[in-house]
Amino acid sequence: MSERTISVNYLARVEGEGALRVRIHDRSVEEVELRIFEPPRFFEAFLRGRGYAEAPDITARICGICPVAYQMSACHAMERALGMTVEGPIRELRRLLYCGEWIESHALHIYLLHAPDFLGYPDAIRLAEHHPEAVKHGLELKKAGNALMRLLGGREIHPINVRVGGFYRCPSREELDGMRPSLEAALALAEETARFVAGFDFPDFELPYEFVSLRHPSEYPMNEGDLVSSRGLRIPQDRFEEAFEEVQVPHSHALQAVRKGGGSYLVGPLARYALNHDRLSPRAKAVAGELGLPPVVTNPYRSIVVRAIEIVYACEEALRIIDQYRPPGAPSVPAPPLTAPVSGAATTEAPRGILFHRYRLEPPGTIVDARIVAPTSQNQKRIEDDLRELVARSLDLDQEALTFACERAIRNHDPCISCATHFLNLELVRD
Amino acid sequence: MHEEALLRDLRRELLEVARRERVDRITRVRLRVGALCHVSPETLRSRWRELVADTPARDAALEIESSPDPRDSRAQDVVLADVVVEEPGSGTPPTSA
Repeated sequence: MSERTISVNYLARVEGEGALRVRIHDRSVEEVELRIFEPPRFFEAFLRGRGYAEAPDITARICGICPVAYQMSACHAMERALGMTVEGPIRELRRLLYCGEWIESHALHIYLLHAPDFLGYPDAIRLAEHHPEAVKHGLELKKAGNALMRLLGGREIHPINVRVGGFYRCPSREELDGMRPSLEAALALAEETARFVAGFDFPDFELPYEFVSLRHPSEYPMNEGDLVSSRGLRIPQDRFEEAFEEVQVPHSHALQAVRKGGGSYLVGPLARYALNHDRLSPRAKAVAGELGLPPVVTNPYRSIVVRAIEIVYACEEALRIIDQYRPPGAPSVPAPPLTAPVSGAATTEAPRGILFHRYRLEPPGTIVDARIVAPTSQNQKRIEDDLRELVARSLDLDQEALTFACERAIRNHDPCISCATHFLNLELVRD
Repeated sequence: MHEEALLRDLRRELLEVARRERVDRITRVRLRVGALCHVSPETLRSRWRELVADTPARDAALEIESSPDPRDSRAQDVVLADVVVEEPGSGTPPTSA
């Protein structure tokens, strides 16, 4: 027997995995199950017993792309529990930090995950061979978002400068002014991005979504506002659990969220845009108008254009905040001592949609119960509904073409498993 | 937290190596496991047979080099370092799984 040694040096990667089971009977789609194998992560369990001040840093670890969302929902929930109000420059800086995250997260999805689908490339590396400028634009936009996160959060990924009540340190006027050139360049690039992606070829695919997002009296929503839906729901954002519930399904490790007494709903850019088009900044609204993007977009493939419009918004909003910034006297609002058990909940707009946190605290400040409902788990059932519709219209495709079509349909919603859906395992049963 | 995803990724890479090298049998697999990575050598060993059961590595001897140094630049990594393969047509037929 002769043997040879092969040097591999392969670094094993951690990525979520998705599989899809579709059962078709008599040209009718009987079953669509999106299976997510990622094991439970138990964040809610290991928050119990920790101090409330630790929640922003612990929950930031849930996501490397949108850690700010976790920090914002955690801080706002704690502040509601403790009866604190954060206003003025600290409130504005939180919005600015969120702008940074929206910019970097949306740029990542548009250029590195979503655009290759429309241009016929398997991934961004292959896209870069033929459209190097496009990928370069994407990376420049991402860099501008990252720079904001680094300045305000201390570092780009899992920032360390956010605390209940505000920040550990606030930037100086000069430091924020230093962000202007890269944000002005990013704004121009974002507009170019919107024009670029609006020219893609979009499948004819309109769906009857129930959109759910925050809505604020005057702002495009990030941290504040009521929970509203396109079918008339309007409740305070801390009462999320009155209207929505999470259910366990046998085929997935991830919980799915549904409207109580109803079905799936959609959160994220399409929902935010449809419910808050009138709150967009002037240039964001002008670019949407120029591109003929209607105020309500129900074609999930066009979410790539809506994401680009939201980058335009985030750049413009960031520049507005920087222009008006006056450093606060103290970087945070002091928290009052906790003398009795309290509860607090909050919803904020992560790049992928609403993120709900609820906590129960006991003196002197210990978390005794935590609940976190992430945007991807809310969209998961809706993604299954999209796939059911897609498969029903694509019965004549072969296995390979259908797998690719399903992967694309999933990527439309930028779920946390979007990288993994390049490895979607399609089990197609025709009986 | 991420054990399952790492193990599946290792399995995928073993299958890829076998396909690329056109071999039916992998006889030895060497992994390097960092002190801060998401999977312990014990977990790897206990899941190994099940993981590779239907792959060309089903009979392979598993060697794990674990580094105790958290400051090692690869402390967070699990690396499939190398594999020993049997040249096709050169030896005993593969045992059935």
